Amino acid sequence: MDKAHREELAGRVLAFSGADQTEALVSSSKSELTRFTHNAIHQNVAQSDISLSVRAIIGGRTGVARTNVLDEAALKACVDRAIALAKLAPVDPQQPALPAVARAPQTPPGAYETSTEQATPQRRAGMCEAMFAVADAGGLWSAGYATTGASGITIANSNGTLASFDGTDAGVNIKMNAADSSGYAEAYRNDVAAIDAGAVATVSAKKARASAHPRAVEPGEWTVILEPAAFGELFAYLTGHFSAQSFDEGSSFLSDGLDKRYLGDNVTIRDDYGHPLAPGMPFDYEGQPTERLAIVENGVARSIVTDSYWAHKLQRENTGHAPPAPNAYGPHAVHLVVDPGSKPAAQLIAETERGLLISRFWYIRTVDQRQAIVTGMTRDGTFLIENGKIAGGVRNMRFNQSLLESLRHCEFSSELERTGNYDYSMVVPTAKIRAFTFSSGTDF
Amino acid sequence: MGFDAQAARALDTSSSRGAHYADIRFEIVRSERIEVRNGVVASLSDSTSRGYGIRALFEGAWGFAASSDSSDAGLDRTAARAVEIARAGAALMRTRFGEPPPRAYVDTFATPMHRDPDDVSLDERVKLLLEAEAALHAGSAVRVGRAWLDLWHTDKFFYSTIGSNIAQSIRQTGSGIQAMAVGDGDAQTRTFPGDIGLYKSGGWEIVEQAALVDNAQRIGEEAIALLHAPQCPSGTTDIILGGSQVSLQIHESCGHPAELDRVMGWEANFSGVSFLGVDRLNSLKYGSDIVTIQIDNTLPEGMATLAYDDEGTKSGVSDIVRDGVLVGYEMSNDTARVIGRTSNGCVRAESWEFVPMIRMCNLNLLPGDLPFERLFDDVKDGIYMESNRSWSIDDHRLNFQFGCEISWEVKNGKRGRMLKNPTYAGVTPAFWNSCDAVADADSWVAWGTPNCGKGEPIQTGRTAQCAAPARFRNVEVGVGYRG
Repeated sequence: MDKAHREELAGRVLAFSGADQTEALVSSSKSELTRFTHNAIHQNVAQSDISLSVRAIIGGRTGVARTNVLDEAALKACVDRAIALAKLAPVDPQQPALPAVARAPQTPPGAYETSTEQATPQRRAGMCEAMFAVADAGGLWSAGYATTGASGITIANSNGTLASFDGTDAGVNIKMNAADSSGYAEAYRNDVAAIDAGAVATVSAKKARASAHPRAVEPGEWTVILEPAAFGELFAYLTGHFSAQSFDEGSSFLSDGLDKRYLGDNVTIRDDYGHPLAPGMPFDYEGQPTERLAIVENGVARSIVTDSYWAHKLQRENTGHAPPAPNAYGPHAVHLVVDPGSKPAAQLIAETERGLLISRFWYIRTVDQRQAIVTGMTRDGTFLIENGKIAGGVRNMRFNQSLLESLRHCEFSSELERTGNYDYSMVVPTAKIRAFTFSSGTDF
Repeated sequence: MGFDAQAARALDTSSSRGAHYADIRFEIVRSERIEVRNGVVASLSDSTSRGYGIRALFEGAWGFAASSDSSDAGLDRTAARAVEIARAGAALMRTRFGEPPPRAYVDTFATPMHRDPDDVSLDERVKLLLEAEAALHAGSAVRVGRAWLDLWHTDKFFYSTIGSNIAQSIRQTGSGIQAMAVGDGDAQTRTFPGDIGLYKSGGWEIVEQAALVDNAQRIGEEAIALLHAPQCPSGTTDIILGGSQVSLQIHESCGHPAELDRVMGWEANFSGVSFLGVDRLNSLKYGSDIVTIQIDNTLPEGMATLAYDDEGTKSGVSDIVRDGVLVGYEMSNDTARVIGRTSNGCVRAESWEFVPMIRMCNLNLLPGDLPFERLFDDVKDGIYMESNRSWSIDDHRLNFQFGCEISWEVKNGKRGRMLKNPTYAGVTPAFWNSCDAVADADSWVAWGTPNCGKGEPIQTGRTAQCAAPARFRNVEVGVGYRG
């Protein structure tokens, strides 16, 4: 559903409502994914949906109803249900007015690409074929996917806010498997044409071959070099700490206050929907323009992210980081960027006397919330570095590590890359971290 | 309500486009979520989603397309898309993946309920949560109190070109409470029941079983007490795990590795592979002799209980581990064919828009014969842990590390002082072979997991692992904390 139809639908919904304040969120999505294993396609799907979410506020009482049935009767029923829920809800004295945004910010260039929205199953199959060719040539078997998708969002409310966004996303990821080793590589862009699937597969295949016959190394403290996919997965576990809600409730490492040094002076963390590697939606799910802000600047905490509720409650500026309502988990930074360093990743490796190069992590979980201790495993390409050179593959290991300690003893590469998975997307450099603690190993 | 005419149209279109087999699954999914947080109803929402997903098989390759557009044109377009996608895959086919179901069923099913949640007013639902949440604030150190309720009602209608016509009405219900205490630079959380609440198939009786109000004050007090409790020590010792933690242990270290698609490498790039290779079937000593882990997708109140899976296979009972030995897998038609078996009905999709795939369903550790309190008798020096806080396991499902919210030391058969930040770690077969006691049926609970992630695009599954508390010998504890 295009922008004009979404905006017309949202306008009709607002007209149905007699609530004090009403918000209509219209979402359209089209997502297609071709998945493969053993150099053949085994799962191939296309999903599409259009849905409406209505938030009704009556005297500080809030109700939300959603539907994807869009005939006139169903739209009215959805509005009526939201109002009925609101009338039954207790009054929340902290409930602020919905944003009144006369003019939505401009979508950053490159957020939407026609070639991605119109990608066919045959195009994705072609990307897979290019990856299979690399696997075949190397005597490897591959598993991964090629995906393309488009989404459209319109948010309108009875205070005059109207904001619409159309975006696309494309990606490939590939794990190459050899007899006793594996490698991993990925690429994510808004434009499917910017992804060279064969090149991604070549990187993955090289890792699989180079990590063959992995040796065991002793757990303990190591200098590690985390490629963007690995660093991003680790860093994602800090995201919740930047929320006004966790800040206020005491579960964030920032809860001791802003304008204090928490991380190394080379660490700057931003939220930037306009980064050219990952241009995204310039407003939040309340239609509030999203601020492009520095959360941590040279190691010093400068900001937390808010939505209308938490901005009002904490008497802070609304930074425009609301997830869709209802939301019990608070505002969220979804366009994180870690500033680069000055040296290429290759130099970070060359300057390492003894360490580990890590392609990817798996199953990271928080062990201790306040200290930001996490545990997880390495996978799909872990290498020993000796005297500045890759000295072969090593068996996978489990780590237990404070993220805060890591970001006090780190160096970043000069290159940035976009990484992500189903629940995050971010732009990060390769990170070199000293004294990273491994607690046990595996036989593979 | 049925969708006979729409199904016939879509299946005809699929066949005329060349599909050798096709099925269509219509779903109407209604969900309600209420969450109270610090005295405020932070979430009060009601959602209806309806649509359908079509699977088409062409020359051994599957195509799947889903849409909410149920007009004639929408059905035609979606059916044609499913076949087009299957053809695109078939063009690169090297291995036959797809296998249609061997037989058709015509049947209906509805989840048994004692009390329909629709008969409980919204006012009553909200009041229950407000009362429970208020009771969590046992002291000023409790900075966050939460109480929540989830109600799901899914109507599924499955049709296939071989003649299946199955209508199922499924009700699933869950609720829970959580307190977070903050002090001295620390934050400690307690959750009840278990680590995520009590989730089962059924009606309002599941909320009543959870007894949220009766337990809320204790949970708040425990969160506060943890702030001042000594750190769980590091070393090797005997542990007793509460039932919900045993449930998670089954989920992560048996349920996932026993998914046959994972064993075959079909999840290799994301969820991972499995150490339970087919070459180890009927020979691997997975656990001690008292460990029998069974699929039962007919179990009353099991979160994943229904009569047919999303390929139209009838639910039943089968073993994964019998007397400690690996004897089976969770299977689909596709994967079962490869090892010469037939599907045991473990295929599910999150909702209409998702492709069905192998999912853990109800996977149960059969109870032992000791009353729970007797598990402590033979422990001279050990730790009792409850309620998961952290869970991580490698992509082969061998090396794991779990943390719990709370623990108590055990000395000479008696439960002693409270310890905070307990963790334990191990390697799956060695751990299950160290299990020397499972509590009896009196403490056996159908613990539901409403948030199991798997697949690409990722899908959230609702599973159950019925379990009682169990005892394990010589386990590494205190991992993750220095000093």
